[in-house]
Amino acid sequence: MMNLLNYKTIILIVLAAILSLASSCEKDPEPDPQPTTGKLQLNFDFYNEADPMEWGIKKYTNAAGNEYNAYYVKFFISRLTIFKDGEATVLNKFHNSHYVGTDVAPSLQWTIADDIEKGGYDSLSFTFGFNDEDNESFMFVNQPEVNMFWPEELGGGYHAMQLDGKWRLSNDSLTGFNFHLGPGQVYNTSGDITGFIDNSFIVSIPSSDFVINEGNTTSLILRMHVDKWFTSPIEYDHNTYGGSIMEIQEAMEKVVMNGWDVFSIVK
Amino acid sequence: MRINNLVKAILFMSISLLLMSTSCEKDPEPDPIHEPTPYSFVIPKGFPTNFIIPEDNPMTVEGIKLGRYLYYDDRMSGKADEGMPMSCSSCHKQEFAFENGVGKGTGTTGEQTDNVMLPHINLLWNPGAYLWNGSVASIEEDVVGTVYAHNEFASTPEKVVAAISAVDMYPPLFEAAFGTPQITMDRIAKAISQFIRTQISFNSKFDQKQRGEYQYSDAEERGLVLFQTEEGADCFHCHGSVGNPLFTTHLFYNNAKDDNFEGENDRYSVTGNVIDKGAYKATTLRNIELTGPYMHDGRFTTLDQVIDFYSEGLVYSEYAHPLMEKLRPPYGIGAELNPGEKADLKAFLLTLTDYDFIDENNELSNPFK
Repeated sequence: MMNLLNYKTIILIVLAAILSLASSCEKDPEPDPQPTTGKLQLNFDFYNEADPMEWGIKKYTNAAGNEYNAYYVKFFISRLTIFKDGEATVLNKFHNSHYVGTDVAPSLQWTIADDIEKGGYDSLSFTFGFNDEDNESFMFVNQPEVNMFWPEELGGGYHAMQLDGKWRLSNDSLTGFNFHLGPGQVYNTSGDITGFIDNSFIVSIPSSDFVINEGNTTSLILRMHVDKWFTSPIEYDHNTYGGSIMEIQEAMEKVVMNGWDVFSIVK
Repeated sequence: MRINNLVKAILFMSISLLLMSTSCEKDPEPDPIHEPTPYSFVIPKGFPTNFIIPEDNPMTVEGIKLGRYLYYDDRMSGKADEGMPMSCSSCHKQEFAFENGVGKGTGTTGEQTDNVMLPHINLLWNPGAYLWNGSVASIEEDVVGTVYAHNEFASTPEKVVAAISAVDMYPPLFEAAFGTPQITMDRIAKAISQFIRTQISFNSKFDQKQRGEYQYSDAEERGLVLFQTEEGADCFHCHGSVGNPLFTTHLFYNNAKDDNFEGENDRYSVTGNVIDKGAYKATTLRNIELTGPYMHDGRFTTLDQVIDFYSEGLVYSEYAHPLMEKLRPPYGIGAELNPGEKADLKAFLLTLTDYDFIDENNELSNPFK
């Protein structure tokens, strides 16, 4: 009797072990935690005054009266920052920039990697280009970013922007403008470069409040108003500085000054 | 007896237990009959980490070996028996950095190609718009296109496959590369493409300078500054720079050579976009010393002529790319370099020559020799 009981006990133990092992093949499902964060996505578009920008040969007239067209714009934004109750959070710390090229469709949408705590946010801002601390030569190796390289002789790093097009000269011919922004140079009286100037600037966008919902992606349109690069506070005349301005700090300074209201958020 | 049954039951359950515990692991895949060896390579310092290898054509040691033979095999035209042998290497000669060194190519029928040959240099990183106008999406497609083209092989895949199949050495090479000895045009194109993707030039003086193994001469240093400054020659916006060691943006530009673009086989003929009229690919400047004649139509035979053109020979048209900003009529027709600056710019361009790349004893050379 005792032996039989012992065998029954052994059988029960083995059966329990089998069941235990069988069930161990499947992991116990973890209870889904309730997300407290969501994502932010920026979609880039481009306007000229009230209408979508037409890249190519479409004629526009800027505030200085230059007839011009624009083939494309390429630019970097970095240090995207969101504000809530006066507190700033810099997003995308581990890859804190985004390249936008109107000829590279995937670049026109940027879903920021960071998980953002749900709730309402007051506004956002970003650095146009890279500030001096971030603008390191050779930090990119792939195209299209490497095509924005800014020669080390002129300050190094990368262009903040290449806005390229053509304007009509007084003799009716069309000539190219390379409205490029990047580090400026300080020259001495001999024409030698003695220092560099950080031409990046922070764009703070008014009326850019938004809400992040848990588990969802909030999409915003970040709109560049191309005409405003040439409008305020400076009426930028291509005839003043010619087609290339990478080595003309006075011209790039005007680009920086005009950049303050070039962007808006469309919800 | 009862005890024996119980022992049997325990044994049965124990075996079941073992079986169940092993069933938690996935069944192993059956051993492949033959698998080619994956090809590995080191990305040269500063080169892009994104490269283009089609999912359906991974690079393998055996595939590259086969491709190298095919690249150099004059039977590839499928017309050797008609007295018209031709291979990739007929127009892509190693001594000219896999360009032909004479300009336009001449096909099996004696017809010339529309444009000059483009060199096979670092195409592993070409993002998918091949030829001067970007009309071809992959190297594989280009290989097949060469077979058909009336001014290249002027042949058919059937002829090519028959010619290659008739060579005893190939079935084993195809088996090694693709698992079975079948020879098809698709496999031929894939193998050649794999080999072309190994044609990587990364040991010029420029590269050595970037690695700290070479110091530029004063002229080379001044030439670099001219190369990558707007007030200098401003080559870098289209052709890359120290920060873009492929020395091409892989983009298309009208570089102000002409004022009439009717009937051209240009980028516009592919996109239909007016701004692409007269636009052609900005080719890599690596090994530029070796890859003349220059421009899509080979109009310039020397680097000096090219530098003269960009210095004072630009031609006005409303289609010239905005980056040709030195074209500002009536007084701007180029970078206006003085003779010393021209010499300096040329000195820098010559630092882009990679003699290891054209070494006839390297693994890119003709395996039949």
